[in-house]
This record gives sequence, structure tokens and C-alpha cells, in this order.
Amino acid sequence: MTENILTVRGLDKRFGGIHVTQAIDFDLRKGEQSAIIGPNGAGKSTFFNLLTGYHRPDRGKILFDGVDITSWPPHRIVKAGISRAFQVSNIFGRMTVHENVRAAVHAHAGVTFRLFAPAARFGGDEVAEALDRCGLAGQADTVAGDLSQGDKKKLELAIALAGRPRLLFLDEPTAGMSIQETEDTMQLVDRLNRELEISVLFTEHDMGVVFNHAQRISLLHRGSFLVAGTPDEIRQNELVKRVYLGEGI
Amino acid sequence: MSRFALPSGHNVARPRLSYLASPMQGTVIAAALGAAIALPFFVGEFWVHVANEILILGLFAMSFNLIYGYMGQISFGHAAFFGVGAYTTAIIIRAPLAETGQIGWGIFLAAILAAPIVSALVAAIVGWFCVRLTGIYFAILTLSFGELLYYIVFQWYSFTGGDDGIQGLRPPAVLMATEGYYYFSLILVAVAAMVVWTITRSPFGYVLRAMRDNQRRAAFLGINVRVHQWANFVIAGAFAGFAGALWGPFGRSVAPGLLGWQKSGEAVFAALIGGANYLLGPMLGAGVFTFLHAFVTKYTEYWPLTIGVVILLLVLFLPGGILSLVPKAWWTRRGASADVPERTKEPVPKS
Amino acid sequence: MEFGFDFVFPQLMAGISRGMLLFLVAAGLSLIFGVMNILNFAHATFWLLGGYIAYSAFTAFGPPSGANPLLVIPATAVAVAALMLLGFGLERVLIRRMYGREVPEQLLLTFALVLIIGDLIKLVWGVEDRSVFLGLPPAVIFGAFINIYYLVIIAVGLAVLAGLYWFLQRTRFGRIVRAAVHSREMVEALGIRIATIYMVVFGLGVGLAALAGGVVLPLTPLALGADIDLIVQCFAVVVVGGFGSVIGTFVAAILIGVTYSFAIFLWPDGALAIIFLFVIAVLVVRPWGLFGTELRT
Repeated sequence: MTENILTVRGLDKRFGGIHVTQAIDFDLRKGEQSAIIGPNGAGKSTFFNLLTGYHRPDRGKILFDGVDITSWPPHRIVKAGISRAFQVSNIFGRMTVHENVRAAVHAHAGVTFRLFAPAARFGGDEVAEALDRCGLAGQADTVAGDLSQGDKKKLELAIALAGRPRLLFLDEPTAGMSIQETEDTMQLVDRLNRELEISVLFTEHDMGVVFNHAQRISLLHRGSFLVAGTPDEIRQNELVKRVYLGEGI
Repeated sequence: MSRFALPSGHNVARPRLSYLASPMQGTVIAAALGAAIALPFFVGEFWVHVANEILILGLFAMSFNLIYGYMGQISFGHAAFFGVGAYTTAIIIRAPLAETGQIGWGIFLAAILAAPIVSALVAAIVGWFCVRLTGIYFAILTLSFGELLYYIVFQWYSFTGGDDGIQGLRPPAVLMATEGYYYFSLILVAVAAMVVWTITRSPFGYVLRAMRDNQRRAAFLGINVRVHQWANFVIAGAFAGFAGALWGPFGRSVAPGLLGWQKSGEAVFAALIGGANYLLGPMLGAGVFTFLHAFVTKYTEYWPLTIGVVILLLVLFLPGGILSLVPKAWWTRRGASADVPERTKEPVPKS
Repeated sequence: MEFGFDFVFPQLMAGISRGMLLFLVAAGLSLIFGVMNILNFAHATFWLLGGYIAYSAFTAFGPPSGANPLLVIPATAVAVAALMLLGFGLERVLIRRMYGREVPEQLLLTFALVLIIGDLIKLVWGVEDRSVFLGLPPAVIFGAFINIYYLVIIAVGLAVLAGLYWFLQRTRFGRIVRAAVHSREMVEALGIRIATIYMVVFGLGVGLAALAGGVVLPLTPLALGADIDLIVQCFAVVVVGGFGSVIGTFVAAILIGVTYSFAIFLWPDGALAIIFLFVIAVLVVRPWGLFGTELRT
């Protein structure tokens, strides 16, 4: 039996009487890199928001590595080992790139209540490593708000990595990137998955990216998963073609 | 480890640097401190008194700025903690003063140190509720708590003296002289400012900036936003209480107005005038505010109009405060080398 | 003190009419915040300025005491017209620059207006309290003596409530304003210049404050600093009622007006403290107010 890093059972969320997710069951195996696809409004972002504690589910259970994290607040979920990079880059705009990542490192290291020691004393190596990995080393001193869209997404990833996650959620990790940047970023994600054994769950509009970089793909439609399988199985699936691919890519 | 020098090309409408690496700061601070120490030798008693007022208001404004400039929330009730500190000291030294007309150093210092503790306790209760809200809700809730505390002090005649306040708060003999109290304040305010500076460059200080820039994202770093904001609220309350402690024996009296929204407004103005993005911006702002007040009220009774126009112009045209006028390059003239936050010259009024 | 009907009923009427005054001022405050997302600290200062202008108009038409009571109407009209113009102008010149700026800066700008306008009032009208005296006979209702002018204020409040409701629900412009509360983009997608909406809403809100200033003139003397007392109570009203909700504002205004009018009898210096306690309780338990649906920050 392969162990699940993430197990979701019967997850329900309603906003004003409308089901945004409906009795969702979902499994992610340890070490797996998996993608969620689905048309706009399918509930992908809501699903991530539920998994990371931004919304509370009305019903259902979320297990992370066997631990019930349902309805935990976001900061506790992150501490447990889940990181998230946002679709719309959501960084600390007036701090430098270095300070952005350092804050994440400090949060992970639990030194945020050190009041009387200089921030520079903690986590320099970890910050440098995360910036290196994400190709931001040359921009450590740039104010984050001034970065290009693509670089902001890289910073998102660096911040997410700084928390040393065991599970990483990436919401449209390559949105706004050039073809080259997209390729670089996804290769980085692959490496993180392989070398650091981080389980990855991502959403993506670019089907090329999805089929090349996901070991497993799940189709979310109107708040529930219709199909899940390997890229090949998904490619063959009639339902997927009807629901999703039919919309035109 | 990477060296982070001056952030470059930051060109949004209002630059808000989290800090400037500044080799110039050592020079500037040494010069300012030297000037502050030398001041009583060059100017008359009146201006020493004004400078003392600036020091106390400046520390109060710096404590407010932990919430405003660093954490990104505006409190309209911060004076409550200043006032609670002032009353704490006043009430402790009131009894021995009434008996002997004298106060010993031991009990005087204990009374000064008790103030930040009591203020922190009150801030812990108030802050517990306030940090659940942001933006205007935070502003209105802090205003409401502040005014509530004002009314309590105003009404509680048996304990606080009600609207009469408490008079005759004489410090120990050495401090009765204007210069004596000035140097006493200078030492304590300098030490307190050093502690604030240390906090702002600590990991905690950067968490504050992160919450200012993006509270929701901060939570997704694994930061418990409410707990950190609460801690900062308590710290800011403690420093406000410390500043308040110095106020009573300085003016020889305390009154409920020290807790009111007008007093809170002074901290807001000072931070805005000097520059909320700079550690000593509020101190400089306190200097300009107090100096302006002393100057303008000599010629006209329309002080609110004057300060209103100043605030209006600042908000519209110079939201970064006076310090944002200093070119960023100036701070690094001798090459970046230190990891230090923004600092500037301490305001010293000239006669 | 006897707490019989003779005490309670007139006090209740005073509280309701005070609530109406709060409603007139707070409705504009709430509308401006709902649509423009700007908290106007100076709103009660506009009310006070409106009152002084109405006073000047009234005394230009007749003596401050014993003149024809109907003179209040043109006096109020002058105040409303003047303040609406001022509102349009201020929105164009000042407020417009503040959209998209941070909340603390918006607060500071309108707070600066409080200081400036407050002092300008002092410059123009001086420091003495100003009032007009109509000399209306009291009405006898259920055997109790009631200031007949309370009824006028209550009528005006109800009329404005109905008018606002009609405007927001039934007119095209009102519907656009309501849409603007939810989505700026949607309004622009309809091809309407949001700048126009903002200017009109701000002018209208300020005009409502001036209306309150004129109408209340025969009841309470104008005094410097009265705007500060009123603005904190208006904050209380919009917080309790929920920002952007007209009905919520109305109910909260009556609630707070009545509470205040009894509190001031029981604890004259602490009446405002009770209001603050009320606000704290609501913000702590239900920050989006009794009638609001979501927390906007």
C-alpha cells in the first residue's frame, strides 16, 4: 500500500447556497507530482483555499500525512509542512526579494519572536539557497514590488520553498511567464519533486505543461472530480474531451 | 551571505523602503546626540524645556509608529497607553509626595518603570480585541477603547482625581532643575529608542513589515498574524507608557486629556510629518510639531487651521514625510556596509 | 427622579429625534464609505458648517428669535445647496487624489479637513454659540408635553429614509450607485464614468449632512467642537448598522439616539462612554455590524 500525503474525503463548501465544492474525495500519494485541471470556475482555487485553511469546509475531512488538519488556521497548516504559491503573485511588495524569503525562513525556523537579535543573523544560508534555486540570486536586493511578473512568480516559489514543505501547492505556477521561463520553472518543480521529495499538486491552464510534468491528472468540474488518471488515460478519456478540451485551449 | 544594500529603482508613487543600509547613520546619530547633550550650554531654559517635550512626544510617536509605519494599522487611541503610564507614575509618587513633599530616587525610578508594565497590561487587554480587525475598523475600535479609558479616568475622582487630574508631581531634587530633567529624559529616551531600533531590525520587526505589506500572505508563511500583531500592540503600549511616565514629573501634573484622541492625534501627526518609514521619523516629526506649535501659537490662535493645512499638504504632496526628501543615495555615500535600518538626525531646536 | 410615563415618553421622543439627526448625518457617511471606500472623518464637520450657514441665512431673512418658523426651510435649502457645491468641489480637488491610497492616509486627509473647517468656522462665526428660537408651543401627546419640533425632525428623517430608499432601489442612477458598492469594474463596464458617480455620491452625502445641520438649528445651539462629539456617534451608528446599509444605518441611529438620550440623564458625563462600550461590543462580536453582511477592510 502506498502512503497518502494528502487524503480528502467528502469535502463540501457552499457560498450563499451555491456548492463550490461538492463531496470531494481526493488522494495524493507521497512523492507524487499531480495536476488539477478544469475550466474556469470549476473550484480549483476554492479547493486550494480549503486545503490551506483560508476557507473552512462545511463538511468533510482533510488528512495531511495521516494528521487531521480540517479547519486548522493557515499558519498552523503551513507549520505542519504545506506550502502554497499563489496564482496572483502575493508577495511583500515593499520589502526586498531577500527580505521576502528571509521572512518565510524565519517563520519556518520559529524565530519570529526573537525581538533583540538582528534579523540578518538567522537563515542567511537557507535564503541564499532558495534564491539560487529559483534563479533570483542576482535580484536579492530588488524591492519585490518592482519585479517583473515572471520574477514575482519565481519569488512566490522561493517563498513557498523557504518553508521546507513536504507538500507544495502551486496555483498556476507559470502564469505570466515567457515560454523559456515556463520551461525553467517547471523543470525546477520537477527537480524539487525528485531531489527534495516534495509532493506537488498544481493547477495549470497550459495543457502542454500539465501533460509533460504531472504524473497524475484530475479533472475538476463544477466542484467535484470527474476523472483522475495518468496523462495517457486522461488524454484518451472522452469525458475530459467533452468537458474540458472541448472548450478549446 | 548576500549583502543587501540600497534597494534600487523603487519608483512607486510613495517609496516605502523597509530600511536603508546606511553608513551615514553612525555619523548622523553621533552628531545628533552630541548636539542634544550640548544643547543646554547654548540655549536658554525655555528651549531646553521645549527640547525635553520633544523627546517625550518623540518617544510616544515612535511607539505609535510601531503600529502605523511598521505594522500598517492606524490607531486613534494610542494616547490611552501614554496616559495610563503617566497616571501610573503619578499615582505611585502621589502618596510619598503628599506626606513629605519629597520623593526618593528609589521609589521615583520604580514609579517610572511601573508605568510601561501597567500600560502593557492595559494594551494586552485592548489589543486582544483590536488585532482581530484591520483598516478603518481597527481605527474606530482603538478610538473607542481610547475614549472609554479617557472617560474612566475622567470620572474616577477618588483614584485619578477626575477632571482635576493630579498636581504637584515633583521629581527628586536634582531633577527639579530644567537641565537636570532634560538629561534624565535624554538618557531614558535614548535607551528606549535603542530598544525600539533593535526590535525593528529583528526577525519580529520584519514580520511586522510583512504583515503590513500583505497580511493574508503572512499567514501563509506560517506566521500567526494575530499573535504577532497582539505582541506588537503590547510592546507599542509599553513604550507609550514609558513616555507617559516621563511626562507627569516633567510637567508636574497629569490630566485626563493625556488619554484623549487629541493626544493620539499628536503621535499620528509626528509620524506623518517626520516620515513613518524611518525609525526616527516620528522623533523628527515631534520636533517639527512641537516647534511649530510653540511658534505659531505666539502669533495666532488658529493652531488647528495651521496644523490642518500642514497635514493636508503632507498627505497630498509628501506622504513619505520630511525624511523622504533626503536622497536615498545620501545614506550610502561611503559605500554600503552595514545592515541597519533607516535613521536620521535627531531634532534639536535652535534658539 | 420619577421614571414614570411623563419622564419616559418625552425622553423617548427626544431620543428618536436625536436618532433622526444621527441618521441624516450617518447615512451620507455610510453611503460614501460603501461606494467610495473612504471614511470621511469630516462628515460631521460638514454638518456643523451647514448649520452655521443655515443660521446666517436664517438671520439674513429674519431675526434669530421669534421669526416665522417657516424660514427654516429656505435657510436649510441655502445650506444644502452651499454644502453640495462644496462637496462636489472637494471631491474634485482633494478626495479624488486619495482613491487607491492607503486607509491611514485617507483618514488623515479627512481629519485635516476637520481641523481646517472647524477653525474656519471659528474665524467666520466666532466662538459664541449660535441658535435661533422659534417659540413654538409644545404639543400635548398622551398627556405629556412634547417639543413640537421633535415631530418635524422625525418627519424629515422618515422622509429622507423613504427618499433614499426610493433613490437607491427605484432610479437608474441609484441602481448604478448600489452596483458601485459591489464592483467598480461592473459600473465601468456599463459605460458609466465612475468619477461622476463618486462626485455625486460625495456631494449628496455632504448635502444630507447640511440638511441635518439646517433642520436641527431651532433645537440645539451650534457650538464649536460639536462636530467631534457627533462624528464619533456617527461612527458608532455606521459600525453598529453595518457600512453601506441604509436600513441598518437607520435602525442603529434610532437605537443609539434613544440610548444616548436616556444615558445622558442617568450619567451626564458618561453618556458617550456608554456609546463607546456599545461600539466595542458590536465590533468585537460582529464587526460587520448588525445589518451588514460582510467585513470590508
